[in-house]
Amino acid sequence: MMSSIYFIALPLLFGFSVPILSKFGKNGVAYTSLILQLSLFLLSITLVLDLTTPIVEVIAISPPLGIALVSDNVSMFFVTIFTFFTLVLSIYYMGQRENKKYANENKFFILLNMLLASAIGLVLSSDIFNIYVFFEIAGISSYILSSYEKTANALEAGLKYLLTGAMASIFLVFGIFLIYLHLGTLNLALISQNFYTLSIELQLLIATLLFVGFGFKVEVFPFNLWVSDIYEGSTPLVNALFSSIVSKAYLFVFFHLLYLFIPHHNFTDFLLSVGVISMILAEIVAIKQTNIKRVFAYSSLGQLGLLFIAFSMQTSDAIIAGLYILLAHSIAKMVIFLSLDSIINKYKSEDISVLEKMNSPFMKWILLISMLSLLGIPLFAGFVGKFLILKTFGIAGYFGIISAIILASLIEAIYYFKLIGLMFKNTEKGDYMEISILQKSVLLLLTISILFIGVYPFILSDWINLASETMINSHTYQNIILGVQL
Amino acid sequence: MIETLLNFLNQEEVLQVIIVIGSMILFFIGLFGILTQRHFIKIFISIEIMEIAIFIFFIGLAFQKGKTAPMLGDGITKFINMNDPIPHAMILTAIVIGMAVLALGVSMAIEYNKLTGITTIDKMNGLKN
Repeated sequence: MMSSIYFIALPLLFGFSVPILSKFGKNGVAYTSLILQLSLFLLSITLVLDLTTPIVEVIAISPPLGIALVSDNVSMFFVTIFTFFTLVLSIYYMGQRENKKYANENKFFILLNMLLASAIGLVLSSDIFNIYVFFEIAGISSYILSSYEKTANALEAGLKYLLTGAMASIFLVFGIFLIYLHLGTLNLALISQNFYTLSIELQLLIATLLFVGFGFKVEVFPFNLWVSDIYEGSTPLVNALFSSIVSKAYLFVFFHLLYLFIPHHNFTDFLLSVGVISMILAEIVAIKQTNIKRVFAYSSLGQLGLLFIAFSMQTSDAIIAGLYILLAHSIAKMVIFLSLDSIINKYKSEDISVLEKMNSPFMKWILLISMLSLLGIPLFAGFVGKFLILKTFGIAGYFGIISAIILASLIEAIYYFKLIGLMFKNTEKGDYMEISILQKSVLLLLTISILFIGVYPFILSDWINLASETMINSHTYQNIILGVQL
Repeated sequence: MIETLLNFLNQEEVLQVIIVIGSMILFFIGLFGILTQRHFIKIFISIEIMEIAIFIFFIGLAFQKGKTAPMLGDGITKFINMNDPIPHAMILTAIVIGMAVLALGVSMAIEYNKLTGITTIDKMNGLKN
């Protein structure tokens, strides 16, 4: 029977069975992980294709007392993205495994699967304390992943991530405790129904606590000061995970909770200004950076600011735009960080001049396409989202935001064209870079999907429209959870 | 004299006020520690103080005076006049998670110290900003 519990149970089960799997030769763990991720991806595709009504998977006791996993259009959108990118990352890692293997590789696979399980759990869960638990599991696995190489820089990144993450979890758990004390429930649907009965001050306090808690993880201003250090210290493979999966999961959960708890809030302006400040600031700082991982870290922060702006509007058009940007950004950042992993391993340098030394026409074009997509050039995937968001804000009359987005894109263009210029400069190149077939096919698949979405975005429009309708409609969510009986 | 004081303190409202004020003082001590201290271990201790303050706040307010533990036995055969067990379960989970994060943090700090000899976060600037 198909069930959404497999998304969480199987990766965790994999983690526990690693000691047994490692007895089956040296490839046992790696191949099992790959098969697991492939099957989870296929499972998510099958679930998405038959998803006519939302599926609520009840665990032991029916809601509101028990925990339920809700697979509706929007949560399955995220689950599909997460399983797809984890699969892609695993295949890429398998392609370079013969040349450069992680020390103690089994641990890497355990952490990767733990991160996948917790990101999916965050998105699917309908119980706020359960969200806290997954928040922490994702946190712990990302702290270990970012300090994976155990060099001084990696440990520094891990420590910084851990300190900020511990602070974040305190504020989040404080908010959750206040909700339980006053409403007597942890179920998202019941909280959503009764949240308006709380006094305005208490609502504001809880919203602030949740904003601070998630702000550290969603990487918005003023909580994002250490994020670039974390990206610099971790390996690019891990950065790809952070940028494409983890931060997106937190972003979704934050706005999901906001839409559910306070559907008619009046702090859109506050959220918009947070988004604008984090976007502009990140893009300005990115220009001066000389470390290539830092450049893309700041570019991620800028894009997350843009996503924050899109989701703050809380209209279905803005959410559609946001989901398009999110998808395009995830694909492009996956390509960039995966190729950076190979480039940095090959040329042993993290300075942006490494792009000048890089001798691989294939990588050059792949990186060019993904950077143009991030910039939002027409015919690439990033264009659709940027166009839709400008259109939405134009109709709503927010011309300040439009000019901020255009300004940010212009600043982005400065440093992306600097990088592109470095890549296509006719100077002495380094050694020729060998890329294995698996790695080439992964990068090619992602790049083709960038071009395909850019040329024909309507293929996703049904799915994304449904997802945005589901995300914005808190009444449907309440009914599907509370209507379930065992 | 002492008896009246004890009776006064034993009122539910007074107890709750004491718990709220006390735990918030503890919370801000922790926050102050995080903002002023620079040593890794001291920062971890401050984080833990903040966490514990919130646990005390929650468990203190969730506990209602005069109600019993939600267990049958000792002549109690029905679930009447029981305290809500869920806050206790939540606190236990949160304590375990908090300790796990703390242990991970301390072990990372030790590894980092072995490599570089640094013990304070203001000297931790290998990653340039």
